[in-house]
Amino acid sequence: MTEERSEEYTRTGPSISCTDTHICVNNLTKIFKKDKSETVVLKDFSLDIRKGELITIVGPSGCGKTTILRLIAGLIEPTSGAVLINGKPCTAPGADRGMVFQDFALFPWRSVRKNVEFGLEIAGIPKEERRERAERYIIRAGLEKFIDSRVHELSGGMKQRVGIARALVGHPDVILMDEPFGSLDAQTRNIMQTQLLKILDKTDQTIVFITHSVDEAVFLSDRIVVLTKRPASIKEIIDIPWPRPRDRADPGFTALRKKILAELEEENVMEN
Amino acid sequence: MVSWTLNIKYDENNRYHRFLRTVVITVISLTIFIMVWWMISVIADIPAIPTPLKTWNALVDLYLHGDMVTSISLGQYIFSSLSSFLKGVLLAFVISVPLGLVLGYSKFMRDFSNPVIELLRPIAPIAWAPIFVLALGSSLGAIMVVFIGVFFPLLTNVIFGVRKIDPNWIDAAKTLGASQMKIFYKVMIPAATPYIMNGVKVGLGIGWMCIVAAELYRFDGALPGIGFYLAQQAQNFNWPSAYAGLVVIGILGLLTIGVADYIHRILSKRMGMDV
Ligand SMILES: Nc1ncnc2c1ncn2[C@@H]1O[C@H](COP(=O)(O)OP(=O)(O)OP(=O)(O)O)[C@@H](O)[C@H]1O
Ligand SMILES: [Mg+2]
Repeated sequence: MTEERSEEYTRTGPSISCTDTHICVNNLTKIFKKDKSETVVLKDFSLDIRKGELITIVGPSGCGKTTILRLIAGLIEPTSGAVLINGKPCTAPGADRGMVFQDFALFPWRSVRKNVEFGLEIAGIPKEERRERAERYIIRAGLEKFIDSRVHELSGGMKQRVGIARALVGHPDVILMDEPFGSLDAQTRNIMQTQLLKILDKTDQTIVFITHSVDEAVFLSDRIVVLTKRPASIKEIIDIPWPRPRDRADPGFTALRKKILAELEEENVMEN
Repeated sequence: MVSWTLNIKYDENNRYHRFLRTVVITVISLTIFIMVWWMISVIADIPAIPTPLKTWNALVDLYLHGDMVTSISLGQYIFSSLSSFLKGVLLAFVISVPLGLVLGYSKFMRDFSNPVIELLRPIAPIAWAPIFVLALGSSLGAIMVVFIGVFFPLLTNVIFGVRKIDPNWIDAAKTLGASQMKIFYKVMIPAATPYIMNGVKVGLGIGWMCIVAAELYRFDGALPGIGFYLAQQAQNFNWPSAYAGLVVIGILGLLTIGVADYIHRILSKRMGMDV
């Protein structure tokens, strides 16, 4: 396992330049059929995601972001097209692609520790090692005081840190995050973004991050994919080579945010 | 003259206060009940409504000397009833829970079994009593009547519990590498447990009514239960003893449901759900 890789690999420092394709979303079409009505959510959608990058996807509400993520996770099947991971087609969910959910999806009958251990249990890792690894990630998430707490005793931000630790602890190659901070208040959200970068620091996972918040996207990403309204197609892909942590007050930051917001505005206007 | 006031404010968050409150309310409630009973028996003045005191004396008599006619002790009656009751509950549990998990999970199986379930459910379990007891004997018959009584409420609750499972939990388990089998054991069963226990709670109440009904039909040599005693005493117009039987049934029912309620609460708390 190459969890903690090279020295210079940091997400809080300058972003690395990565070029190898990790996930190849190839000509995906997804149509939801119900009785006679059809919803074409994706039509011939393609996107290359590079190894080790943090890529965010923004787009108008209902354009198909969650659908893209669930297709990559293997939780739903495409109508046509394929998702290739390291060149191999993927059809079913697996422990190589961890997922963080907007409403946390923690198991309320398990303690924090047991939630984080879930995937390790499934993988058949011996008890001692399981405990030790889970503890390491819980400490990284700053939750050591709550390690034996039940989930309902935690705040929203703490819950999501458990969700992130649970997804990370099995060292998946890919982490899929669907508006992970969407249900948190603005202040907690900003704190969580900084903490996420710290937790992810020195890991080489590929992260696909969906958000409604342009500010969040500009703060976190190596690249931002801006989608059109449904059926989603790529409006623009923006590289952000700036070092992290980023200053939200920086003129470049504000300008980029404005530009993306204007693009999304266009999509929304067209809808009306 | 010594004058003093009891200067205590009730505090909802103090468990001793809560306990004391429950005790006081229970005592007052039961006292009123017994007084009303007493009044009715005095006003009606018929042998079929004995006073609480006469009933109490009959109960003490039953406890000390057992049933004079059959020479069966109160303990034996209780043991017999409880044993058929628990066997029936256990049988219902062993069948309803796995079946409910499968029916909750699979729409096909649910649609497939629904006509049969809906056909059988409305039949009062007590209606089965004469058939089961005469066909299977007093002992097994009583067990089967309890089984029918517990089976349907339990099954309905298990199915409901499975269908209430957050689909995100299943997706989360899948992305953590869980197979269908692991999802079944590690997600569905724990998530449905509070609902299963709720079904057990409802089922116990109905099962307890069934056991007494089934015992009325005893005709063979098996050790009879408390329902049989009640029926015998009533047939001999021995009203206070019949009422003593009622009291025993009531208390045993209260205790069994109390235990189930306690387990339900503990489990729900463990599962992080509010009761
Ligand atoms: N299982 C489904 N059955 C039918 N239609 C669906 C299903 N899942 C999604 N859709 C439809 O597909 C479209 C895209 O949904 P999706 O959840 O991917 O959008 P989204 O971009 O994630 O939206 P949001 O920003 O609101 O989260 C929506 O119109 C939705 O109604
Ligand atoms: Mg979505």
